[in-house]
Amino acid sequence: MSLILQTIADGLVLGGLYSLAAVGFSLIFGVMNVVNLSHGVLVLIGAYISYTLWHVFGLDPLLSIPLNMAALFAFGYVYQRGIIQLAVDRSSLLASMLVTFGIALVLRNVLVLVFSPDFKNVTPSYAFNSLTFAGITLDFVRISALGASLVLLTVLTAVLRWTAIGRVIRATAQQELAARLCGVDARHVYGLTFGVSAAFAGASGAILGIVVPFAPPDEAIWTINAFVVVTLGGVGSPAGALIGGLLLGLISTFTSQFIGPAFPNAMMFLILVLMLLIRPAGLLGNAFSGSR
Amino acid sequence: MLQDGITKHRWWIAMSAVALVLLVIAPYFLSPFHVRVGQQVLFAAGLALSWSILGGFAGYWSFGHTAFLGLGAFTASLSMSFLAALPPLLAFVVALALGSAACGLVAALLAYPILRLRGIYFAIAMLGVSQVLAELNNNLDFMKGSMGVMLPRIAPRSVDPAIYFYYLFLVATACTLVIGFAIKVGRIGYGLVAIREDEDTARMLGVPTERYKTMMFVLSAVLTGMFGVIYAWSLGYITTGSVYRTDFSLNMIVYSLLGGMGTLIGPIIGSFLMVVLTQVLLGKLLDVHMMFTGILLVAMVLLAPRGIVGFVRDFRERRRGRAS
Repeated sequence: MSLILQTIADGLVLGGLYSLAAVGFSLIFGVMNVVNLSHGVLVLIGAYISYTLWHVFGLDPLLSIPLNMAALFAFGYVYQRGIIQLAVDRSSLLASMLVTFGIALVLRNVLVLVFSPDFKNVTPSYAFNSLTFAGITLDFVRISALGASLVLLTVLTAVLRWTAIGRVIRATAQQELAARLCGVDARHVYGLTFGVSAAFAGASGAILGIVVPFAPPDEAIWTINAFVVVTLGGVGSPAGALIGGLLLGLISTFTSQFIGPAFPNAMMFLILVLMLLIRPAGLLGNAFSGSR
Repeated sequence: MLQDGITKHRWWIAMSAVALVLLVIAPYFLSPFHVRVGQQVLFAAGLALSWSILGGFAGYWSFGHTAFLGLGAFTASLSMSFLAALPPLLAFVVALALGSAACGLVAALLAYPILRLRGIYFAIAMLGVSQVLAELNNNLDFMKGSMGVMLPRIAPRSVDPAIYFYYLFLVATACTLVIGFAIKVGRIGYGLVAIREDEDTARMLGVPTERYKTMMFVLSAVLTGMFGVIYAWSLGYITTGSVYRTDFSLNMIVYSLLGGMGTLIGPIIGSFLMVVLTQVLLGKLLDVHMMFTGILLVAMVLLAPRGIVGFVRDFRERRRGRAS
């Protein structure tokens, strides 16, 4: 019994991280239909920024989140306006996916050249403390990771729902033409959306760094995770990302606990393919524009 | 329609025949290293052509075609334990047939569910399929994916294996090109273009979209599997990592895109340029290899979204427009 509870707890904690890492991917996919295959590398850039700040200035990774988000927001805005929008204009959406893949290769290579291909991890002072509650053991870092993820996801939901910029983003996602007729500068909004998405990728990177070790080639895994989360939960909403992420966390811990440590990836993809076939819009299905 | 196609494209056919003759005599003039590069060019071109039959003609971009490459290679390799009594070459032919057939069978089973998905969803579902197959191959013991399988030598003692496989790949790629040509100029080719441009309208106008898509999916899988088997034998020893390679899936797309999507010559030009560029010119710069590929990918989509063939075609049309 306590094994099952422990597995559930581990799954939920891991799922919180997956949710946060995927929410930006989901936002871009929902708002502009672009599959951003460089999302994973943005997550890792966030992780490396926090690593550097911690390593050089001793700044706590959780406190470096705002810096991280600001840096990646700027990067995301420029990236969208400078490259992605051009690709979408001149070619197809599928080709824009290839462009993001190309950028992912470039950035991964840059990370390898700057930080070496070795695994890095961030170990703040509280890294080895843990908390036992009703027979379940949870590390401090994992609890703080889950907490930070939930707080950030809530903030994003509030921003999307109640602020002016959130309203504009949602309007552009629903119908670009109508939004433009109402005086919305759609390209600026796309840039902002990409910036927000990259900022959340950066935040998740900061948290990732204290939970698991990371190396540049991991970016592919984080991109694919984001895709699975979005397929499970549904496109374009933080709530969908949260549900998808928690489910993915549970699937992955349960598979490695009860089927075998080698199978979480196979199980994840099996569920991805099944979900695409049965319910392509995800559990909370609100596919914005006809994404199918 | 095949007759018309042959008359219409007689210049292309004549040029292909000349190119074939040149390729047949090429190994006598090339250094061993360049024969090996030629082998890789032919392998890449064959894969890109097999991918194009579905991806280029019908617009169904598979991001996981390496699934069939690996499946074919491993089915053939594992069947060798039953074929050990046969002489190596005959065993190879039987294994080739078995590997390709297995790919066709799996594709036929997958076709109904997976071809209902379109665009990005189809692409990612195929990526998922390839990952599931690769993980299972790596982790189930009877598939020997992590341990690896040794394959017998089929090239005669007197012949250099590099040259032997150069010719095998040449034959396979030429067959794939002929099949691709027959499809493209035939009735089905026009049906596939209609599917690519607007599937719902095509279906409304009486194109049997489901049947065409399924046929092409299976054919593309069989051809990819065939290349997988030949590739496995050219390596002599395979593991999951050496045949289920995501970069193969990506290369098929990139080479087709670079040359010209939906054409037959495009994937061949693209493969030639990229393989020669990466193997010969960038061989010494392994550190920035990935960065270079990425930059090229981005530049290509931004500057020549319809590939080299599209670029040349636009250029010629513009010149003709100015002349008249």
